Amino acid sequence: MDLFWQQLINGLSLGALYALIAVGYTVVYGIVQLINFAHGEIFMVGAFGAFATWVVMGSPKQMSWQAAVFGLLPAMIVGGMIVSVSVALLTERLAYRPLRDAPRLAPLITAIGISVFLQEVVRLFFGTIPGMPDAKRAIPFPTVTGISGRSFQIGTVTVQNSAVFTIAALAVCTVFLWFFVNRTKTGRAMVATSQDPDTARLMGINVDRVIMSAFAVGAALAAIAGVAHGMRYGNIDFRMGFLAGLKAFTAAVLGGIGNINGAVVGGLVLGVVESMATTFIPGQFGSPAWKDVWAFVLLILVLVFRPQGLLGAKVVDRA
Amino acid sequence: MSDTTTSANRLARYQTSAHIAGVVAAVLGIVSVLLPWSYAHEPLDDVAYYGAPSPLQYNYLGLMVIVLVMFGAPLALRRKGKFRDRIAWNTGARFGGYAMLATALVAVAGIGIEAGGLVNVDPGGWIAVAAGVLATAAGLVLLPSAAPRTGTFRTPAWGQILAIAVGLAAVLFAAAYALGLTDSGAFLFYLTFALGLALTLVRVGLFGWLAQCAADNKKVLVFAAFLVAFLFPFTQNGSDANMSIATQVLFFSATALGLNIVVGMVGLLDLGYIAFLGAGAFTSASLSGSLFAHINWHPPFIVTVLISGVVSSLLGLLIGTPTLRVSGDYLAIVTLAFGEIFRITMNNLDGSDGPNITNGSNGINNVPELGLFGFNFGDPHVMLGVTIGRFANYFWLMLIVLALIMVVFVNLNRSRIGRGWVAIREDELAAEAMGVNTFGLKLLAFAGGAFLAGVAGSVKAHYDVSVTPDQYVFLESAFLLAAVVLGGMGTVMGVLVGATVLKLLPEKLRFFSDYRLMLFGLLLVFMMRFRPEGIIADERRQLEFHAEDEELAEEVEGELIAYHDHYNPDAAKTEELR
Amino acid sequence: MTAAPEVARGSATGGVLLDAHNVTMQFGGLRAVGNVSMHVSRGEIVGLIGPNGAGKTTFFNCLTGLYKPTSGSVTFAGQPLPPRPRKVVYAGMARTFQNIRLFHNMTALENVMVGRYCRTKTNAIDAVLRLPRHRREEREATDRSRELLAFVGLEKKADTLSRNLPYGDQRRLEIARALATDPQLLLLDEPTAGMNPQETREAEDLIFRIRDLGLAVLVIEHDMRFIFNLCDRVYCLVRGEVLVEGAGDVVQNDPRVIEAYIGKPTVIEEDGNDA
Repeated sequence: MDLFWQQLINGLSLGALYALIAVGYTVVYGIVQLINFAHGEIFMVGAFGAFATWVVMGSPKQMSWQAAVFGLLPAMIVGGMIVSVSVALLTERLAYRPLRDAPRLAPLITAIGISVFLQEVVRLFFGTIPGMPDAKRAIPFPTVTGISGRSFQIGTVTVQNSAVFTIAALAVCTVFLWFFVNRTKTGRAMVATSQDPDTARLMGINVDRVIMSAFAVGAALAAIAGVAHGMRYGNIDFRMGFLAGLKAFTAAVLGGIGNINGAVVGGLVLGVVESMATTFIPGQFGSPAWKDVWAFVLLILVLVFRPQGLLGAKVVDRA
Repeated sequence: MSDTTTSANRLARYQTSAHIAGVVAAVLGIVSVLLPWSYAHEPLDDVAYYGAPSPLQYNYLGLMVIVLVMFGAPLALRRKGKFRDRIAWNTGARFGGYAMLATALVAVAGIGIEAGGLVNVDPGGWIAVAAGVLATAAGLVLLPSAAPRTGTFRTPAWGQILAIAVGLAAVLFAAAYALGLTDSGAFLFYLTFALGLALTLVRVGLFGWLAQCAADNKKVLVFAAFLVAFLFPFTQNGSDANMSIATQVLFFSATALGLNIVVGMVGLLDLGYIAFLGAGAFTSASLSGSLFAHINWHPPFIVTVLISGVVSSLLGLLIGTPTLRVSGDYLAIVTLAFGEIFRITMNNLDGSDGPNITNGSNGINNVPELGLFGFNFGDPHVMLGVTIGRFANYFWLMLIVLALIMVVFVNLNRSRIGRGWVAIREDELAAEAMGVNTFGLKLLAFAGGAFLAGVAGSVKAHYDVSVTPDQYVFLESAFLLAAVVLGGMGTVMGVLVGATVLKLLPEKLRFFSDYRLMLFGLLLVFMMRFRPEGIIADERRQLEFHAEDEELAEEVEGELIAYHDHYNPDAAKTEELR
Repeated sequence: MTAAPEVARGSATGGVLLDAHNVTMQFGGLRAVGNVSMHVSRGEIVGLIGPNGAGKTTFFNCLTGLYKPTSGSVTFAGQPLPPRPRKVVYAGMARTFQNIRLFHNMTALENVMVGRYCRTKTNAIDAVLRLPRHRREEREATDRSRELLAFVGLEKKADTLSRNLPYGDQRRLEIARALATDPQLLLLDEPTAGMNPQETREAEDLIFRIRDLGLAVLVIEHDMRFIFNLCDRVYCLVRGEVLVEGAGDVVQNDPRVIEAYIGKPTVIEEDGNDA
């Protein structure tokens, strides 16, 4: 039973990471019906942005936990957000927007292109920025005193401090998103646009701006996820966005794509299923090497039995 | 509107001067060839002599002659007539100018980089640049001609066949020549030259005429093209390096063509296509009798091919059945996930995380050479005095496989099934409401594409000798997709061109190989933005991507009529009789 | 249910082809169609009219397999209606769309040949190997499609891309495409929307000729004059229910119909509350 609680905590923290990324897929899909494959790379770029912020701050190593948690961490998050949001807005403006009326295949292929391009740009050129290490191999992520590598016990269950951070970040972001969507003008414009872009335009809503804010919100959350990922695993590399993006998309579909709450629930469920699978599936197939496979099997099962997702999709089928 | 009219009026007065300037530029270019371009000998395979042009410079000379004709012809053809009116001389001249400038700039840049500084560029090089600038300027002054109508020239059958033969021979020669270039700068120069020349000839209308010749002699063309490809190993004098590249190009083309059925014809984005190739390769390797394989049954290759195809298509059904019911968008991401899962699974079937089938990341090594009807593909043999090595054997085999995939592609396209696919692409709901089995047709394309990939993979296992999971990763799928998108969705020729270009470039441009993936990513984005239908466009695809273009619609209509008459010759004949 | 169906049944020229019985379609709390019964007999032209939002299109979608009714039954030629659009076509019922949905980048002939899809059987192997079945069916499908194009008056435009056709021709092409599925019943969704009077007259003539082929036709329309000229019987749907049913002139002169279209808002309000 202890093992169960331990895996539940592990699963929730992993799931919170997925959920933070999944929101980006779901917000954009809800509004422009585009699967932004490059979102995983936005997450990766956010992590590199946070890392770069740390380097720009003079690569501080020794500090009190107060300074780390209330100074370094927010600075890295903001730095990561600036980078990820800028990249996301640039891709929207330069690559996706011109294709808004094109057949659906065109933006999908563009998204693949952007994804490959961003990975390769980081791999090839991150190291050429003065002061930055070569990104062809994994880069150790800066230690945030008090969070990275620290843990505490509840009974027999070990809880990583970084897990607490990820879950707390998700909670804060969910509240923020709820407020943003329901209580702000931009948020309501987003809802209107997702239901009927043409009418929204006639009602005086600047649809371009709404779409950009969707990309921006998703990218900002992805940057937080990037920092969380860095603290959890201790390093970042240019490939990290691929699998994380895939998992986050699975989470978004699981919850019901286009549905923000769905992305959160889907992420958490996916994380828990993954960690439980590695513990409770007997024999060789329960080994950690298979956990990605189980996540994927879950995606297929959802598509077969509940294509609208757990909480119901805004847009079920627009094939 | 009025702006363009007035500027056109202004330009109209300078047309003759522009033509003369263009002629001067071409002559200048010819003069430059007689002068050394470079002080040093190394760059561009030696272009440092007076009065003795290098082979590359002869190519450039050919371009000059063509540019001379483009600019000169309107001066010579003063009277109205089909040669003056149906050929787009001005447009051709303009693109010829661009081609001159581009090649000259690449030459100068190449010399500068390879010899270490622009100091090494001799007057000849600079004259070529100046000629390019002059020709481009002259071309920009010219008013663009109306679209060429060269397809309407009446050409006797022997002339058409001669044209096809000359065209194919030129392609064979150009390909063999390009493969022979070892210097990156020289290759890039040649590539720019070839692209510029091709674009010029397309714009002037030569390709329209060739296309007409080809359309009138389809069978001759196809036969001749295969003959040329078949003869290719004889031009290589047993050189394994080039044959290996050529064989890889064929593997790549065959796989890309299979992918094009899925992406180009039905519009389903399959991002895990390489995994189906991998499934075929692993199946074939497991049944090959390799010491590293874990299956103790070694059927003849003919059986193995079929089993590999079936295994791949079963995987396709497994992935496609749940996904294709939902939405096209999901398919893209599910196939992406599938590609990743395939890699992980192959890595895990190593005896510790699962049953030992693939030896994990080591893969299955020492796959024996392919044996077919007692013939061992590893054995070299001498034919017509030329040694035909292992690579040439596989080259021919893949040529046959490619031909088979082409037959599948073309015949499916021109059938009830192909029409159903187009209908699905255009309006899936209406297709369903008209009684088209949309789900079944999508599944057919998806699983059928997987089958073809499995077949190609089963040969590839033998060719590569070892099969490992990391040969079949997502980036390879993206690379395949780039070939399809670059060449043209839904066309055979396009994919062949796309695959050849994408496979050849990294082999020949060493400095470029590290940036390869980045540029392919960028290529996808740019193609979607500026030419989504690819280099060689499928007419209908082109229309779909340019929904607003009315002129294009009129143009395509004419071409579709020819297409109809092809698959329904009786109707065409009866109409002629009336 | 009124007594009228009995009367009409008696006057029908053949057996009942399409029979919808007490069809109700509920979307959450909204009842779009309630207890609608309707039948179409062989060789009959039946009209379905009603003001905007009366539930015509919803009902239509129940008939074509797009929606599965919440309750009630639909039978076609004595069999329960299959639940998928494709199977409905296969059973012998074909439709056109209110806003034209041709395959725009296919020629007129190709569009009609897509309609032949469900009556041909060439499979992938036949097509790849060019077996006799492929060649025979391809020839037959082409001939039949040309015939149908001639029937609707588009024989000269067989090779025109459908997007390049004028509006009226597009409507006729849609009908030809539907006819290519060999239907027993043709469902036309606002076939004269956007047409000028001349084109409307031609459409009318075309529908009569289709009936003369032995087909039954169900027409949804806004244009009252068109429908009363054309139809043997007319159903008037208001607020999701059949208000009046009967011969054209009967429905035309029924005060309730006039009321529903032009009439007193207060009365309609009450109707709505009752429904």
